[in-house]
This record gives sequence, structure tokens and C-alpha cells, in this order.
Amino acid sequence: MIPLRLYGLRRGTVTMVTVLAVVFAAFTLTPLWWILVNSTKTEPNLFATFGLWFAHPFEFFHNIRQIFIDHSQGSLAQWFRNTLIYAFVGGIGATVLSTLAGYGFSRFHFRGNNALFMVVLSALLIPSTAVAIPLYILYARVHLDSTMEGIFLPFMVSPVGVYLMRVYTGGAVPRELLDAARVDGAGESRIFVRIALPLMTPAIVTVFLLSLVSSWNNFFLPFIVNNNASFDPLPVGVFVWFQHSVSGGGYQDFYLYTICAGFLTIVPIIVVFLALQRFFRGGLLFGSLTG
Amino acid sequence: MGQAVVNGALQRREPTPLLVRADGGPQRKARSVTARERRGIYFILPFILMFLFFLVIPILYALYDSLFTSRLVGGTVFSGLANYKTVLTTSAFWYSVLRTLIYAAIQVPVMIIIAAFFATMFEIGVAKWGTAFRTLFFIPFAVPSIVAGVMWSFLLEDPYGPFNRIFQDLGLKSFNFFGAGAPLLGSIVVIAIWEWTGYTMVILFTALKSVPREVVESALIDGVSLRKLVTGVKLPMIRPAITLVAIINIIGALQLFVEPEVLTVFTTNVAYNYTPNVYLYNQAYAAQEYNLAGAIAFVLALIIIIISVGFLIVRRKKGGWL
Repeated sequence: MIPLRLYGLRRGTVTMVTVLAVVFAAFTLTPLWWILVNSTKTEPNLFATFGLWFAHPFEFFHNIRQIFIDHSQGSLAQWFRNTLIYAFVGGIGATVLSTLAGYGFSRFHFRGNNALFMVVLSALLIPSTAVAIPLYILYARVHLDSTMEGIFLPFMVSPVGVYLMRVYTGGAVPRELLDAARVDGAGESRIFVRIALPLMTPAIVTVFLLSLVSSWNNFFLPFIVNNNASFDPLPVGVFVWFQHSVSGGGYQDFYLYTICAGFLTIVPIIVVFLALQRFFRGGLLFGSLTG
Repeated sequence: MGQAVVNGALQRREPTPLLVRADGGPQRKARSVTARERRGIYFILPFILMFLFFLVIPILYALYDSLFTSRLVGGTVFSGLANYKTVLTTSAFWYSVLRTLIYAAIQVPVMIIIAAFFATMFEIGVAKWGTAFRTLFFIPFAVPSIVAGVMWSFLLEDPYGPFNRIFQDLGLKSFNFFGAGAPLLGSIVVIAIWEWTGYTMVILFTALKSVPREVVESALIDGVSLRKLVTGVKLPMIRPAITLVAIINIIGALQLFVEPEVLTVFTTNVAYNYTPNVYLYNQAYAAQEYNLAGAIAFVLALIIIIISVGFLIVRRKKGGWL
């Protein structure tokens, strides 16, 4: 990095830019602070007290217990379990498939390799509805519309993951190394496991984290294709409660429940994200293309 | 021996058949190399099968399905391109497309300007605590849009939301962000900026790392101002990254669904055709018009593909800002 003094900045520039960054940081933190504060309140206090500060009584633990107990509008425990399953099965599946495919595309010259890869890449331009609606129409025919598999199997198809693994493998796994092992008589699966996989590890972690976050947060696909409420994931559950909070007439605590469920949805993923954020950077440029 | 082969092999760019053990002539070696390369198919096969079953086949099936129309009497009949004709001639659909384009015209530039400003400032090191700010701005990327929508619904609520309380305490009138005639699109722009600016900033920040140090140094020796350095040197050099985030966000804008759908809880301002995806969802689930919904999805996909490819072609031709 070039030392800052060489830029010949005018006096006050650093202060001004820092102040602007603080303003944007406040904008970023406000909703997160709000959800933390309000998950500690009672339902009447959500409206009777100032939203950005705490109020008595402090009911956080009571609220969290309550949202797991009240099953009148869907079970939070079930949504939580579903989301865990979708995120991990979908994330691991996407990682395994992408790793194998990325290695195959990058290190073997079979006929049709490039053409096939272009087809996979072009899937990035397809909007999520143009995938979800067809899946729903087909699921109704093959009876996958009320199953967990119907939700997590599509999560495993990650063209972005394949792309990242192919690019990374091209740079990190020298073809010569693989050929040397072949000369020594090692089989292809052994070469893959013993030589290629260890070299691909950083990209594998990146692809796993990206698929984990996108499966954890995916609302649209399960919302469209799933017909069985007990298989809904957390984001869909939060929306169900939010809609009920208004239509339910307000005598139940569903405004509060929505807020607490939202809080529980984002805390684990933000913790994972902050702890492992350096792994996200590599895959960042392409992460959002999946939609 | 093994070591020697490794070293020998490492010096070659491409493997040659001659390196294979001495059991067989060149002919046989060539064939065995082809056979070996073909084994790559086993590695890609699991993904390709899933890709076929959960992407290609559903889309082909829905394309086929969109050529039919369900009637109350007479069941489902082949109707050719009638559904597509309906979509293309329905003004409700084009209004939804137009609204997302207006939304994109506001959200995308505003977000990219904020993101580019912070990316360049943090990269040069003008702001204090740049690394901490970068991490913090990036957090909303991990928040599902449904929860973002819930949080902003409450924050903007009238009269209990904290913003309106602050307005009241300052002696101002509270503002009903969700009322009739209120610019709901503006609220959605704010939510989207909250969600995506940090992510965009980190992409641009990563791209800025690749600007050669010598270029910046020579500009500094010429005595350019900070503003000139950023707008005249650094940003032009990361144009491909800026184009990429612009395309990603325009594609995202055309697919806008979750934010307006969440806001329906607190406002009645979200029309059935607010965005193409809201319209499509209402056609499919409220009106049970699945064949028509399929056609809407494909027309939307086509619009997205045309815009993305168009962008790339224009950029390649003109080399201009986008």
C-alpha cells in the first residue's frame, strides 16, 4: 500500500470520509440493532416504547422459549430443523458435485468439454422464477411437491460452484503432477482423493460457505415449490408469522414472534459469516449470480 | 525413479504420450490417452445428471406446458403460442416490467456510487478503521431478504416506527411511508441499498487491488488530486467489475419479489402486478393459471438474457462506461 501522506490530501479529508463511513455504518447497523432490542420486549412494548432502545420488562429468554412452545401457527422447532437440514444437505451436496465437476471440467480433455461447460454457465442468466415455476409444475406430476427432497435437491445444483472450482483447480492443481502419479500407476480416484483434493481445499471451503448461506437464506424456491407447511424452512416460517400477525387480529403475540424468529434466523448465519468471512472473498465476484 | 519422473514431467507444459511406460507403441499410447481423458466424464456426471433433472428437464417441460391452455370445459388443449401472445399483449405485464426498470434506474446507480466511493476510499486508506468498516458494511449480505423486509417494515411504520417517532419528537409530522400515494418504490430502494451496497463495495474493493501500483504512483508524481485519481485513474481501470455488478443488479431488479411481497403485510400499495415476479406469482397461485405463469417466466427470462447480452455487446463495442 502506498503511504497516505504521498497522496497530498487536504486537511480534513480523512475526518470527512471517516464521518461518512460512520454514517453509513449507522445505517447498516440500525435494523440489526432494532431486531436485537425488540426481541427483548413484550408485544405491547413493541408499539408503546421507542424502537431503538430497550424497555422493561426484559423478556428475551421468555420470548425465545415461547416461540418454540406456541404451535398454533406452525412450529418454529420444525422450521429450524428443516433449515438446518436444507442448508447442510444442500450445501454439502452442492460442494461435492461442484468439486467433482470442476475437477473433471478443468483437468480432462474429453470431447464436448467446453460446449458442456458453456451450457452450465449460461444457466447463470436464467432468473430464479424461470427455474422455480417449472420445478413446481413438474413436481406436481412426479409427486415431489410435498417432500424435503424437492427442496434440497435443487440447492445442490450450483453452476457458480462449478465455475469457481474449475477456475481454481486450473490454477492450483498442475496437470503434470497428475500425470506423474499416473505414470507411477495410481488410479484416477486415488489421484483425485490424494493429490487433487488437498490442493483444492481453499476453494472447497469457499463453495461450501456460499452454498450454505444461499441455502439457509433461500425463501423463493421453497415458497414456490413446497406444498407441505411442516417442511417449510425458517425464512418461509418468518413470513407466515408476519402475515398472521396482521390477519390474526393482534390479540396474539405474533408481531413479537415474527421479530424473535427473524432474530434467530439471522444470528447463526451472521456468526458463521463473520468467523469465516475471509473465505467468502474468493467466491465473491460470482456469488450473487445464483440469485 | 519416481522422483525423476516427477521432475521430468514438471518441466513440460502438456503431458506427452511418450512419457507413458514402455508397454506399447505410440499408436496405443495415443488411444490410451484419449481413453484416460474420457474418464473426466465420470467426474462431471453426477453434477450433469442433477443439472438435467432439476434444471434442464423442468424448464423444457414447462416450455412444453406453456403451449397448452386449461379450460373449464374440455380440459387442457394445445394452444400454440397463445399464452405468449397473451403475455406480450397484456399491459399489466409491461407495467410490471417498466416499474422494475424505473426501480433499477434509481437503485443501481445510487448503490454503485456509494459502493465505489467507499471501496476507493478504503483501498487508498483515506478513512480510519477501513477494515472494520468493510466487514461491517458486508454483514447485510448474510441476512435473508425476508428478514430485511420485516425489519424495515417495522422501522418505517407509522406512527410507531422509530423514524416516525424521531420525526414527532423533532416536532415534524410523521410520514406514512406505506400510505396511499407514498413512494413505496423509494422504500424498496432503501431496503435494497441496505442489503447490497456492502457486497458491491467488497467486489469493487477486490477489483481495485489489481490496479498496478506504478499507474497510481506515476499519477501521484504528476500531482493529480484525490478526486482525479479516483474518477480518472482508478475507476476507469475497474470498468469490467463495475459492468458486472451493474448487470447483476439489473438482473436482480427485474426479479424483484421478496421485498414488495413482505411489504404487503403493512401496505396495500403493492398491486397484483407490482413486479413481473409478483404478477407471475399471483397468476400461478391466486388465479391458478400455471400455463400462463410458465409463459410469463420465459418471457421474463428472455428479457433478462437480451438485456445482459446487450450490455456486454455495447461494452465491447464502445468501451464506454458501461
